Amino acid sequence: MRSVLKRELLLNLKNLLIWSLSVGALGLVCILLYKSMEGEMKDMADAFSNMGAFSEAFGMSTLSIATLKGYFATEIGAVHGLGSCMFAAIIAINIISKEEDAHTGEFLFSLPLSRNRILTAKSLCVAIMLVLFTTVCTLFYLLGFKLLGEEMPLDLFFTFMVRQFLMNLEVAGICLALSSLTGKNRMGLGLGMALLFYAYDVMGRVIPDLKKYLFIGPFSYANASEIFTEAELPVTGIVVACGVLICGVLFAFWYYNKRDLAS
Amino acid sequence: MKENVIEISHLTKSYGKSRGVIDVSFNVKKGDIFGFLGPNGAGKSTTIRSMLGFLKINSGNIKILGMDSIKDHEEILKNVGYMPSEAWFYDSMKVNDVIKYAADVRRLDCSKEAAKLCERLKVDTHKKIKQLSLGNRKKVSIVCAMQHRPRLFIFDEPTGGLDPLMQKKFFELINEYVAQGATCLLSTHVLSEVDKYCKNAAIMREGRLTMLETPHIDDETFLSFYEEEEG
Repeated sequence: MRSVLKRELLLNLKNLLIWSLSVGALGLVCILLYKSMEGEMKDMADAFSNMGAFSEAFGMSTLSIATLKGYFATEIGAVHGLGSCMFAAIIAINIISKEEDAHTGEFLFSLPLSRNRILTAKSLCVAIMLVLFTTVCTLFYLLGFKLLGEEMPLDLFFTFMVRQFLMNLEVAGICLALSSLTGKNRMGLGLGMALLFYAYDVMGRVIPDLKKYLFIGPFSYANASEIFTEAELPVTGIVVACGVLICGVLFAFWYYNKRDLAS
Repeated sequence: MKENVIEISHLTKSYGKSRGVIDVSFNVKKGDIFGFLGPNGAGKSTTIRSMLGFLKINSGNIKILGMDSIKDHEEILKNVGYMPSEAWFYDSMKVNDVIKYAADVRRLDCSKEAAKLCERLKVDTHKKIKQLSLGNRKKVSIVCAMQHRPRLFIFDEPTGGLDPLMQKKFFELINEYVAQGATCLLSTHVLSEVDKYCKNAAIMREGRLTMLETPHIDDETFLSFYEEEEG
């Protein structure tokens, strides 16, 4: 199993570097831009906080974009949320199906490994990729704060990163289950789902009737503006996320064990 | 009397409403090179893939090396060298990495045997998989199937893409391993291979298996199995 895990990590390394460096560097640049925009931000903050439902959707009614934590929550929070969600989706949705899609399945399945061992190695690979992605981005953002020399509430920042990581795991769990279903490349579906989850969260915050159902989506408990305003812990959303993650992984194991493997 | 290395009884596998194989039964004895003939889509690969646990069978029993193909799946694969009809590997890997990877998963040091096989088959181990032709990928597949010196070889159309010299070397290797106690199931379309190398043979047609009295059949008899199906 160790060999399969090592192979999977190497095969996904390029993806990890591209996505973590892109999202991390983008976040860093945005953080560094804060200083140059600080003056204009004060006027913008007033305007943005009076845009009704949209201000609420992006957290600008409760957080001032003129402060670093407000700026981070509204700008980098969105970039990291969407970027990390897309990365989690594309890594997980192909991790199982790629073997059959690329016809490498017969080679892998002819090695003395049970399907459970193969899937355990692949699931671990996804989890490790997400840990590394989060770590790289965290380091970029911390570097940004340091270079900027501005004070940032680190406890809230780390809470944000941990909840984003949980959101990534939940999305990956759903995509892992989908990946076990077929032997076809489903990259488009993965990316589409990531965008759909993000759109659902934004819509849920704009449309009052949808607000009470926000907890269903993976972005509900990872919302930067709520975390940085120290809103109440969204217990229901987190419980749903853990449930979805466990169900997704269990389904992947169950289904992968019972189906025929394509050549 | 020699022991059975492969024992298949009443194997049936369907793909939804499509036929796979129906009530297939046969045994392969230790030390045999067993020819497995049949037209495309007759069910040869389905039988092989059922034996290896890639497919979930509908009914029947498969015993490989005295072990149950479902319960002892991992243990069976430790003792089997399988070469699929299409040799696909991870494109970005180098040949020597693929060969080492296959050995590492088995937790074996096969470097000596692999080096011997690569030399005899003239495998360029420093090339990337994506740079290889079908024939060269097949040679890598042969090395992966043989380097751990398995007790049973399962080859699915192994010689397609190999040049005549490599085909000769391939069969020389099989004969050497079989002389040392291995057994071989050889799925092929090439009657001359069965005639020259196999001790027993069976032919599949429309999902059903017929044992041949002798592997030394003439072209006309061989082709009649294909023609009848067309009719």
